[in-house]
Amino acid sequence: MIQHIDVHAVLQQSVSGVYTDLVTRPTGRVVRERIERVMATAPDPVTVTRIDFTGVGCIDYSCADEIVAKLLRDRRAVVVLSGISEGHREAIEPVLAGHELAALIERPDGGGELEALGAPEAAAALLRDLVARRLAVHTSAGTIALTLA
Amino acid sequence: MTRLVDVPAQFDDRSFEQFAGAYAAAAQDGERLLFDAHAAEWASPYGLVGLLAAGQAARAAGAADRPLLTAPTQADVLTYWTRAGFFREAAELFEIHGKVPRLKPVEQSDVLLPVTSVRAAEDVHAVVSNIQQRASAILASELGLDPKATMGFAMALSEACQNIVEHAGTGGWVAVQAYHWRRKLARRVVVIAVADAGVGFRHSLEPTQSKRFGARWSDAAALEAALIQGISRFRDPGRGQGLAGIRRYLARWDGKIAIRSGTARIAIVPKWDDDVPLKDGLPAFPGAQVLIIIPEQGPTTP
Repeated sequence: MIQHIDVHAVLQQSVSGVYTDLVTRPTGRVVRERIERVMATAPDPVTVTRIDFTGVGCIDYSCADEIVAKLLRDRRAVVVLSGISEGHREAIEPVLAGHELAALIERPDGGGELEALGAPEAAAALLRDLVARRLAVHTSAGTIALTLA
Repeated sequence: MTRLVDVPAQFDDRSFEQFAGAYAAAAQDGERLLFDAHAAEWASPYGLVGLLAAGQAARAAGAADRPLLTAPTQADVLTYWTRAGFFREAAELFEIHGKVPRLKPVEQSDVLLPVTSVRAAEDVHAVVSNIQQRASAILASELGLDPKATMGFAMALSEACQNIVEHAGTGGWVAVQAYHWRRKLARRVVVIAVADAGVGFRHSLEPTQSKRFGARWSDAAALEAALIQGISRFRDPGRGQGLAGIRRYLARWDGKIAIRSGTARIAIVPKWDDDVPLKDGLPAFPGAQVLIIIPEQGPTTP
């Protein structure tokens, strides 16, 4: 099963509802803790958690570290990030590289195609592991896509 | 007895040392301070937030009465400082002398963010939210930056403000302006200025870093550790990302950052500037003051 978490909605519940930006470490901490609670209380066995950043404006480095890096560092399920803009990548990529971590990014075309972002070695290992666990497959176009819908 | 602190006529990061020297000399004996800005002709965002930090420090120093501030006498200067949001914040810190116009701070074409107090994470949210729409237009149309650079700008601004929330131990101020910088570049720039009168970098990093540096531990060493080595006072491996991220952003857009704290000042100096990378032995000034400059893109003539 794929569990879907809407970060924008979590953010709106975590800070004043008027803000759409993931900035400051305290905000990141609150948002991550809420995401972790949702992940921990999923009713069915979860193999993939899709964390959707659609609708999130700016992400700063502190939030990228507090949310993405810490979720990946302590991950219990396979985490896929979706709705990631160029601006989001600017914050997330160096933070992941600094931790020697990688994250799976779902491309925006909706076909479930994945790329790995972050430290190159960790990124390659992450994709290999995903295919080995049959959670993703190599496509005819030479990309990797999730097997689950 | 009241001690006089002259505010330079042209008050920016260069003349700030003259101001800091006057402040350090006047603040020695804990007497009430009078900040005299009557002859001020111009102040950069750095000057404005620096003056507020001095007022904050003077209040914290414990003199019975609030420090005095003589407002600029030139009407256009007074109007500009008011529109830039300076007097809204200064009213809490100083006993102000002079006629201050009753104008609201506004986001004029050049004032991207009026002087805004930053005390908590919520304030950083408000700053980032307010700046993005206006900065986007200025950065793309006037500075020639890729529209994608706007988010990086907001990230840099957020991280600069968070230094106050996480390290100063008190509140501070941020201001963002765009202007034509004739003296240095003959082109437009966007300037972020952040200042507080808190504990400063040395004190913030001391518990975790002073032993490592031993006898070399100083304001300059603390600034080098934070800006160059990305060291934070927190042991969490993810800490120290903020200043590193600002440096990456500025490297990409040929920008400059300078941080002053205590008796030292450190700068990442782009080719178009002739600033000194590290200065030590400056007049003591409390807290930290951060200057970020992003120039209009294109060939530069230093």
